Amino acid sequence: MSFVSIDRASYDVQPGQSIVDHIDWTIPAGEFHCLVGRSGCGKTTLLKLAAGLLQPTAGAIRIRGSAVREPSPEVGFVFQTPTLLDWQTALDNVLLPLSLARRPLPQDRRKAEELLDLVGLSGLEGRHPRALSGGQQSRVAIARALITEPALLLLDEPFAALDAITREELQDDLLRLCALRGTTVLFVTHDIAEAIYLADRVAVMENGRLHHALAVDLPRPRGRDARYSPRFTALCRALRRAMDGAPAEPVPLDAAS
Amino acid sequence: MTARIGSALLLVLLLAAWELYGRLSGIPSLVVPLPSAVLRTLWDGLTSGFLLPHLAMTSAEMTLGLAIGCAVGFLTGVLLAEVEGLRRLLYPYIIASQVVPKLALGPLFIVWFGFGMTSTVVITALICFFPLLENTMTGLGQVDPNKRELFRMLRATRLQTLLRLKIPAGLPVILAGVRVSVVLALVGAVVGEFIGGRTGLGASIIAAQGMMDSTMMFALFIVITALGMAFYQAVTAIERWLLRRHWTN
Repeated sequence: MSFVSIDRASYDVQPGQSIVDHIDWTIPAGEFHCLVGRSGCGKTTLLKLAAGLLQPTAGAIRIRGSAVREPSPEVGFVFQTPTLLDWQTALDNVLLPLSLARRPLPQDRRKAEELLDLVGLSGLEGRHPRALSGGQQSRVAIARALITEPALLLLDEPFAALDAITREELQDDLLRLCALRGTTVLFVTHDIAEAIYLADRVAVMENGRLHHALAVDLPRPRGRDARYSPRFTALCRALRRAMDGAPAEPVPLDAAS
Repeated sequence: MTARIGSALLLVLLLAAWELYGRLSGIPSLVVPLPSAVLRTLWDGLTSGFLLPHLAMTSAEMTLGLAIGCAVGFLTGVLLAEVEGLRRLLYPYIIASQVVPKLALGPLFIVWFGFGMTSTVVITALICFFPLLENTMTGLGQVDPNKRELFRMLRATRLQTLLRLKIPAGLPVILAGVRVSVVLALVGAVVGEFIGGRTGLGASIIAAQGMMDSTMMFALFIVITALGMAFYQAVTAIERWLLRRHWTN
């Protein structure tokens, strides 16, 4: 069953100049999809269309069959930068989506604390963002996106500014958290290995069009071993070739051996 | 700490040199009074209670003018930052109102509000208004577009975005405007009193000038400087307190 369906969606800045150009894509419920492409290819715009932050100039984006017209409480969004409020503690930042809707209850606080635990920040809930490292700030941002238990999570290169090891840890945490609730995910990145490691399916975007899709058949749960398996390397190579504009070709399974 | 001792030492040195030069050259005290005479006048003025009503009056005018000017400036700034059409409509007039030298309006205010406190408070408020307006508009406009998008994503209302994002995020810039206003408020209050005051430190300077009492004028300069420093320090302390959460570790 398709949870998100992007149906010939376009976004033009002016007539004839499309940032997103007739894109078709579906994400079944509970799947983790990655969108890769060079900077400026329209990935972020497509993500904002899915979030309802922008309206498509043609076509439609549907979540559970109904067209997205404005940001929905069912959708969580993680930005390129953590976008935390500097004057609030980590806990209050996580509570922000709730506290904008109503006065947070004691159980909301408990839930926020649990989420901070889950992203590995137990004991730091009273810290202000400036007293947290870049990786810790990204973790708070993810916890904030998850507090409303969104059915769909949209992430826009959230780990691009982090060092390699922190990024790997955060990727593992993200996979774990999304598997926990069966969250459907669309994750934008320009990092090939990140896309292969995280995704069930990877879409390659160039000049506003999707021109390649790659199914990732690595078994789950994925761990450090998966990152160094021959199959992983083969998939990375295939994705790289696809990004270079090579014609679509299936990755033979024997590449894993 | 060493720097502070150095600064204090420099002051003592300069005062001593001034005193020495004054005594040796025999320059008339009408032109340049001796520091010792100034300090004695200051001390007498404070202990006899002569200066106190004037100090209280100028402080009150400054506080009131600062409070009214900052409040109106802040609210107008919020309004103009939020309502694009209003900004386009009113901004040229607000600029024009600031180009008019407000002290030149003093005589008119005396006609409208009479001699005394009200005229001075109005002048002070007018002078304090603009830095707050300008900084509030800048501060609210400078919010990180990603954070604004986050608030849109979270379906925050316009009021919530203003109160929970724009004002807290713009607070450092807004408070920098208050600091500028404090300095201007003292100028406004003292010069306002030059024109229309009977009581107050500015009025006392005019009175001392009438009696050719340069020593008293110097003593009043010291009081005015101290008053300005005290206000500035108070505002800096309030600023630090308000921004404690912006910078804390």
